[in-house]
Parts: sequence; C-alpha cells; structure tokens
Amino acid sequence: MADQARPDDRWRHVRVLFLAFLGLWLLFTLFPLYFMIITALKTTAETNLTVPTFWPELFAFGNFAAVFAEATNFDALIDSFVIATINTLLSLFLGTLAGYAFARFPRQAGGENLAFWILSNRMFPPVAILVPMFFLFDSTPWGTDSIWSLIILYLVFNLPLATWLMMVFFRDAPRELEEAAYLDGWTPLRAFLRITLPLVLPGMISVAMLCWIFAWNEYLFANLFVGTDVRTYTIVIPTFTHGSQTLWNLQMAFSLIAMIPPVTLFILLRRYMVRGLSLGVVKG
Amino acid sequence: MSNVTLSKVNKIYGSGRTGVHAVRDLDLAVPDGEFMALLGPSGCGKTSTLRMIVGLEPITSGDIRFGDLRVNDLEPRERNVAMAFETYALYPNFTVEENLAFPLEVRGVPPAERRRRARELAELLRITEILSAKPPVLSGGQQQRVSLGRALIREPAVFILDEVMSHLDAHLKFQMLFDLKRLHQELRRTMIYVTHDQVEALALADRVAVMSNAELQQVGDRNTLYNRPANMFVADFIGEPPTTFIPVERRDSAECARLHATGAELVFDVAAERIPDLDAHGGCEFMVGIRPQNLHLCDHGATIGGKIVINEYLGERSILSFVTGDVTLQALAPPDTRMAPGEHAGFSLDPRDVMIFDAETGALVT
Repeated sequence: MADQARPDDRWRHVRVLFLAFLGLWLLFTLFPLYFMIITALKTTAETNLTVPTFWPELFAFGNFAAVFAEATNFDALIDSFVIATINTLLSLFLGTLAGYAFARFPRQAGGENLAFWILSNRMFPPVAILVPMFFLFDSTPWGTDSIWSLIILYLVFNLPLATWLMMVFFRDAPRELEEAAYLDGWTPLRAFLRITLPLVLPGMISVAMLCWIFAWNEYLFANLFVGTDVRTYTIVIPTFTHGSQTLWNLQMAFSLIAMIPPVTLFILLRRYMVRGLSLGVVKG
Repeated sequence: MSNVTLSKVNKIYGSGRTGVHAVRDLDLAVPDGEFMALLGPSGCGKTSTLRMIVGLEPITSGDIRFGDLRVNDLEPRERNVAMAFETYALYPNFTVEENLAFPLEVRGVPPAERRRRARELAELLRITEILSAKPPVLSGGQQQRVSLGRALIREPAVFILDEVMSHLDAHLKFQMLFDLKRLHQELRRTMIYVTHDQVEALALADRVAVMSNAELQQVGDRNTLYNRPANMFVADFIGEPPTTFIPVERRDSAECARLHATGAELVFDVAAERIPDLDAHGGCEFMVGIRPQNLHLCDHGATIGGKIVINEYLGERSILSFVTGDVTLQALAPPDTRMAPGEHAGFSLDPRDVMIFDAETGALVT
C-alpha cells in the first residue's frame, strides 16, 4: 500500500500546481471581463471614484438603454453587422473557388509561388496602406464613407486568409472521391458541390468565423474611412469619451452589447470551429 | 462489345527536359469478358495506364478503343467504365445503400428499382447487415466490398480495379480473391485488375500483362509467364522465391553444347532441341536463369552441388540457399529437410528447365 501511495502523492502535487496555474490564468483573463461587466452596471459617479469599487453600490441597468439615447448608435451595430456579413460571404465565395483551384490545379492556377504570394498579402502591416487606400477609395463613385468601401477593403485582409485555409482543407479532401463521382456519371461542378464541399464544410465555417470577427472588430480603417453616412460600432465606442470626462459605464455597456454577436456565434458553431481549426477535416 | 484495345499509347507528364515518360508505346488488347491483370513494380506506369483507360488522365498520344468506339476524347462519365479505387473512395456522408445506389441515381433510375438492385448486390457481396451504416465506421474489408458493389451496380462495359487489395490483411485478401474470381465467373464482364502483387495477379487473371519502366514486358497466362518469360525482368518478377541468374560462357564439348558459369565450377548441358535457337542467336556469352522449384535435392546423379548456407523453414516447404564458387543459388526442398549450414548438398536439374537469356538485352534466347 505504502508503495502505491507515494506515486499518488506525487501526482497530487502536480495536480495542485496545475490547478493553481489554471486559477492564476483565469484570473488574468477573466478579471478584465469582470471589471467590464461591473463597470457597465455602475453609476457615472461611482466610476469616477478615486478608489475603485469591485462590486457596484447601485445596479444601474439603465446604462444599457442610455447608450442608445444617441439613435445612430444602434444603426452603427447594424452597419457593422452588414459589413462583416457581406464581406464574409464574399471572402468565402471567392476564397473557396480560389482555394479549390490552388489545391486541385496548382500548375494551371499559378503554382505554389502565387498561392504563397496571396497569403503574404496578409503579412504586411495594415497601417502601411492606410493613406493610399484612402485616396484610392476616395476616387470611387461612392467615396470612402460607404459600406461598400469597407466591404471591399476588408477583402484585402480576409481573402488571402480564406484562400489559403480553403486550399489546405481541399488538399485534405481525397481527390478519389471526385474521380469516383466523375466515373459514376457526375459533372465536375456537381461532384464539387455535392461531394467535396460537404467535406470541407467544418473548415468553411471556421474560415467564416475568422473573417467575420476580423471585419466586425476592425477599427483603424473604419475610423478613417467612414463616420457620417456610415458608422461602425468600433468608431462609436470612443465617442463616450468627452472633452472633460469618459463615461466609462456607458462605454463598457456598449462594448458588452457589441460582444454579444461574436460570442453567440462562437457558442453555436464551436463544434465546427474545433474540427475546422484542427485542419484535419476529413481524416479519421 | 466491351473489348478494350490500346494502341501505341504514350503518357508523358510535364514537358521538355523535365517531362516524365510514364507509359511508352503500349499495345494491349483485352478481349470481351476477359479478366486481365496489369502487374508491375510501383512506378512502372500501370496506374497511369489505368487512369488513361477510364479517362481521368489525358492521353499524350495513341488510341484507346472500347469495341469500335475510340474513347480518347470522351469524358469519364461517357465511357461507361466503373472503377474500384485503392482507397475505396466511398462518399463519407452517404450510407452504404446510398453509396451503392449512387451511380443509378445519377442515371435517373427510379428509387424502388435502385433499392432492389442495391439489396441484390449487397446479398451477393454479403454486406446486407451494414446497408444503413456510413463508411467511416466500416472495416477495411467491408469498405472494399461496398466499393466493389458501387462499381458493379450499373453493369459497366469495362470494370477496373486499382490495387484494391493492398490494404487488406492476408486472411481477408484470400477471401476477397475467391469472391472476386467467383464474381467474374458469374458476371463474365471485362475486368482489368491493377496490382504489384504477383500472387493476386496470377490467382485471379486469365492473362497477366507485366509492365516495367513504362513499357509492357509480356502478356500471357501464368504458364507462359512462368515457363517462357520474355526476358530477365519477367523471369525475376514472376515466381517466389526469385530466379537465380548466372553469367555463362558457351564452350561446346565434342558431344554436346555446354554453358560454363564464369564464376564457379558449374556446367549446364543444353537440351538438344534448344541448340538450333542458341546457334541462330550466335555469340557465346549468355545469362542462365534457374528457378528454385526446378532444383531437386538428390543423393545420386546430382548435376549441381554446393555448400548449404541457410535452411529457411517456411511451413509447407523449405528454401535451401547454397554456394558454389561465387554463385549463390536457392532451391525448394520438402519441409522436413534436415540440412545444416556447412553441409554439402547435391541437386538435379533438367536441362529443359534452364532458361537462357541474352547477356546484354536480357531477352529470352531459349
């Protein structure tokens, strides 16, 4: 018995250490979220105390309504949603077709070098093209202050990612399945839609999530491009900072509301996300 | 008519100096209803040949005909060929029954008929109990049967099997070999079976086409390939354990033609009926090929002798390796042979069992 107890003890120590580490890690990641939630529930006076409180003295649920006192704030959430969704659909559509071409017809599609060049478009610092892009879109008929400017601009970042990831997923999908379908009597297009596409669906969903979240959260270009006819929620958040003070409680309340769509999507699609991001869609 | 004819078929991947000549001037005719095996080591061009037949790979030059129809420019779905893949290629999101019925669905066969045919075939292949399962949960042997069934269901003109047994264990393989042979006898369909395993090819096929280095070496039934191999490659590739090759020099004695091994005290008499062939060929340097099966252990009248180096006991037989001079030969012996390394053994060899090849080209002389 004594011989067996010793290894057990040792494992208990490892377990305690592991839990302690996890606890510390949770504290680091969850505390900002906790502070965000309680701040959103505080009154303006309480947020301005020199010594911060860690539990609201008074729950000011009215903050969540007050952020919409400015009616256009709600429109900003809609604009962000529309921009992110259309951009995601476009990225997915174009990225899937391009990824398929790179995976199945690498020579005809321009080879590994072109595929890598497309991915490398994702690697430069976005701020480097901020000003050129502004002038470029300023000369379009719809100008910079339009949802279409941001939808097209975000393709610069999302399309390389979507193309590259879809290429990897298509490479994993066995070619023989399509060949078997050709022999069984299907056209290449039908075989692609009915056989191959369902195989890469988990991958497509995770690509869609990545694209959508990038477009939803983008601030730098939105701040410069839009603001009058179109506003994204990311450029509304700083408006709660006034000349003399910052309305921390309203800013946090609005941020929490903006977190709802991505978090909901993550929860609903987490099964596909894990399968898609492990890059092993078909195997096993 | 579903005989398949390939004439002067070439396949070159890539172009210019980097091009790879995968199939060179291939001429092959498979008569209607024949079971033909395409046998060769990996990279010999057999899979390229098969992909050109079904239409998954364009032909660089030459013609492929099904009956009188030239199919070079037809899409795979227009050729009426069915294929079972090495990886089975079952549609993972369809059930077994849907997989089986899929080729019929594409051709617009009504659902009731599709169901009936799928069940009929499932019975033939003994997979009725897994009809509602999906492929990822099936064992290799079951997937194999489903993939055969999917190829068989629509009664294609030509039925092609690509290395379909390379992922099965030995026991399952024998079962499948038996089933496949039975299927062919029942259906009498033209079948082309691609494999690198001579046991499968010889067990199944009416005739075997042996390929190597992008070229067809020989087409023939098992006796022809075994006893009259066209060249040293076929003699070496067909047969287990492999043929021993010994360089020899022709030095006739007064009464008969003789071949003297260059590296050992070995002399092979040439059977009288073979001398004209040897004379016609001319020259005096040859390669002699001897199958281990043709060396018989004997106490008296041995024509070849040597010192045993290894006695491999393999259950139903033993392989004796013995050395004479700098030549190592192998001979098959009964399993109960008690021969220890170092012992001297004598073997008899019928002169008619000696295969004589051209030393340079490797082609069979006689």
